Amino acid sequence: MPEDNNVTIIPTGCCHDCGGRCVLKAHLKDGRIIRIETDSGEEPQYRACLRGRSYRQRVYSPDRLKYPLRRTGERGEGRFERVSWDEALDTVAAEMVRIKEKYGNPAIFLGSGGGNQGLLHNADVIARMLVNFGGFTRTWGVASHEGALFASMATYGTMHTGNSREDLLNSRLIIMWGWNPAVTIQDSGTSFWLAQAKEKGIRIVAVDPRYTDTAATFAGQWIPIRPGTDAAMLIAMAHVIITENLHNQSFIEKYTTGFDKYRDYLLGAEDGIPRTAQWAESITSVPAETIASLAREYAATSPAALISGWGPARTAMGEQYSRAANMLPAITGNIGIPGGFAAGFMRAYTSRQRMMPGGPSNPVERGAPPRDDSLYKLRGGTNPTSVRIHSSKVYDAILRGRAGGYPADIKMAYIACCNFLNQHPNLNRGIAALKSLEFIVVHEQFMTPTAKFADIVLPVNTFMERSDIAAPWLGSPYYIYLNRVIDSLYESKSDLDICRELSRKLGILPLYGDSTEDELLRARANARYDVTDYDTLKKDGVLKIKLPEPVISFKKQIEDPENNPFPTLSHKIEIYSEHLAEMNSPLFPPVAKYISHWEGYDDPLAEKYPLQLLTTHDKARTHSILHNISWAEETEAHAVWINTADASARNIADGDLVDVYNGRGRIRLPARVTARIMPGVVDVSEGAWYNPDENGVDLGGCANVLTNDEQSPGGAVPMNTALVQVELVPATQEAD
Amino acid sequence: MVQVGFYFDQTRCTGCYTCAVACKDWNDIAAGPVNWLRVRAIEAGSFPNPFLAYLFLACYHCADPPCARACPVSAITKIDSNGIVVVDRDKCLGNKQCRSLCRNACPWDAPQFEREENARMQKCDFCRERFDRGEQAVCVESCPMHALDAGPLEQLKLKYGDSVEAAGFSYSARFKPSVLFKAKPRN
Repeated sequence: MPEDNNVTIIPTGCCHDCGGRCVLKAHLKDGRIIRIETDSGEEPQYRACLRGRSYRQRVYSPDRLKYPLRRTGERGEGRFERVSWDEALDTVAAEMVRIKEKYGNPAIFLGSGGGNQGLLHNADVIARMLVNFGGFTRTWGVASHEGALFASMATYGTMHTGNSREDLLNSRLIIMWGWNPAVTIQDSGTSFWLAQAKEKGIRIVAVDPRYTDTAATFAGQWIPIRPGTDAAMLIAMAHVIITENLHNQSFIEKYTTGFDKYRDYLLGAEDGIPRTAQWAESITSVPAETIASLAREYAATSPAALISGWGPARTAMGEQYSRAANMLPAITGNIGIPGGFAAGFMRAYTSRQRMMPGGPSNPVERGAPPRDDSLYKLRGGTNPTSVRIHSSKVYDAILRGRAGGYPADIKMAYIACCNFLNQHPNLNRGIAALKSLEFIVVHEQFMTPTAKFADIVLPVNTFMERSDIAAPWLGSPYYIYLNRVIDSLYESKSDLDICRELSRKLGILPLYGDSTEDELLRARANARYDVTDYDTLKKDGVLKIKLPEPVISFKKQIEDPENNPFPTLSHKIEIYSEHLAEMNSPLFPPVAKYISHWEGYDDPLAEKYPLQLLTTHDKARTHSILHNISWAEETEAHAVWINTADASARNIADGDLVDVYNGRGRIRLPARVTARIMPGVVDVSEGAWYNPDENGVDLGGCANVLTNDEQSPGGAVPMNTALVQVELVPATQEAD
Repeated sequence: MVQVGFYFDQTRCTGCYTCAVACKDWNDIAAGPVNWLRVRAIEAGSFPNPFLAYLFLACYHCADPPCARACPVSAITKIDSNGIVVVDRDKCLGNKQCRSLCRNACPWDAPQFEREENARMQKCDFCRERFDRGEQAVCVESCPMHALDAGPLEQLKLKYGDSVEAAGFSYSARFKPSVLFKAKPRN
């Protein structure tokens, strides 16, 4: 019985870059969304978290951008005037043509991100338009996962290394290494599978500088570890396993290559330094006995799942952590079997990228050689072209251009699906870079810190105002149909419609011909063998695919290696990588190594800035999305986590307003004094919006004011490598 | 008389606040001081042995609700058929006039008030309209961890046992809150 005959319930879903994809059911009355429910259907249910449940507030927020805007003040000031769509798009088209003619297509930079992750409505539409316009410059190096991806490719030759989550119940030991799915979701329902694993009696261990919600809920043991040193502990575990003869020799011989060279490194044959548990204790601060006993337990318990999160790879030598994590299943044979886990990138069911149609190649990139520090001989990883700019280095590239060794002199930024300035490292440098550009256009839903730097801001609708299909974030077997619930509010449009109109003004090929949204979505669904009926998917809003058994990556390779080689160059699991050896650089060791790095715990700079900064994900935001939505924001106050001892040494009490600072900038926010973070480490969750006072102190608490715009050798974005100091805000300033 | 109540599995709760936001959306309550459903973090211990639990607090629809006893105008009553504690906001004097007697009487802060002058009391009503239709309370259906349940207390006891202990919670034998727990043990 419906509660109200005038209410229509429309199945849709949530598709930002939170780590999940969840079912939403919008209650519509008199053309307005009045409530939202979630999946109450058959198991497994894909229930939305607070991010999706607060979405009505986001759709109807009074802060939504209503009309196209043209800048009237200085860049960053936030002063704009309303203009018509025609005027706005004429301006954008004229600037694009002017810049193309004067500087060439490489001068046009696309700054995009994962803001919208529907299969149709995402930054790809802007990229396609720019390809039709003659090409553009873009980034490589995804902040979330680049280190994990590099290592996954180097070891396994693929990102498809995961098992579907229900397989967690087949493990006898689960090690959650820097993995916090209670907050980062890591596919909808993952935390519920972990709860079931725990209730089944499976032992779960967490290795993390913080006692996360995930650790607190599921783990029987918490091992705090210094940021940036995870590789050392994993390497020492391998040392314990092989010196105590606990490794799986027959597996190693049959399926891997280069074990001897890794053993040489572990034993210190190269340099006389054996990588013992004692060696790792001095680096990681984890007691040697803890390291050794976890190693023994992992090797002796079969099957065991080492789940290596991506966060510890967001460090200055991030790839080495992920490589070292991949080594443990490889030497113990926890690969290709139920209950095991190959670590790696962790993609399992392949619904996601298969639905993204290939497009024409970017003329700017055609014929360019690959980067010589990329894994260019392997397919399926990061695009290796040398004319892309690493996402950490965009500001440097803008400021220094070709003269600084970059592939382009950037003059214009086209920014969409991304709060670029807020979400890239070293924000103050970003301000200088954005101020130096000739033209900036931003597609946005709100006046973000990035939009304030635009010359033209174009208002975009939300996923409640358009239709789309969403595939799971990482690799679960289902699809969600996002039915359009309401018409676009105010004058907002989809990115697709904006780019179609702009293409007309530019006189270039129409985007996706004249196909309607429904035709485009139908075509994508029909291209998939597992979507049997588009109309049913659309009507039901979710399609849950029944698998006969869990996805176990590399099952075929292990069961029948003769006919199923690993997709690496050697066709085996590469403990030693010839591809890396050819780079002939100490930064790209062919076996996993611990490499000390800048702004680590042992950097001399630590005398001045003694605390290691983490910039973790926030439970109430999807990166910077939902920062301004009060239902989400009020759940837990944005604050810097600081250990009780570090706080007490600075006379800081819980809730005190403090400054976190280093040579790159200063942010001001409350302190959360807690035993849930180890001494010497502080955490400012990323995504809070930059909000400077007149002195440039960020009162918004944006973590990227403090992060470094460097990259790790293999491309990881070192969001968790920065040294800072924390101090109480002087009382006079606090009163301001 | 049937008495309805809640069950909360504290060992499953990750502190995601989904229930709290779902409650606000369903009941159309703005961000701010009114929280029919509260999630409280309980932190204890010291590094490297911290303890963390979350407690689900709504209205526990007591068998003998202290808020009802405290109300000078009998604006708070129990529904005969299911024991849901409800407030008649037309009868409520407002928190300035009565000095929040109901709120002060409740050990779990279930009575809630807007910031406005002399605000009338409001609180969790067990999603009674949904309950009357045979549906679950919106918080129960929202929980990604399936850590919540609601229904007739005797049925919940058959399903989950009769524990009334949880970290951060003290049972009152006098008020008899209609809630059962699976407690998170101290490590």
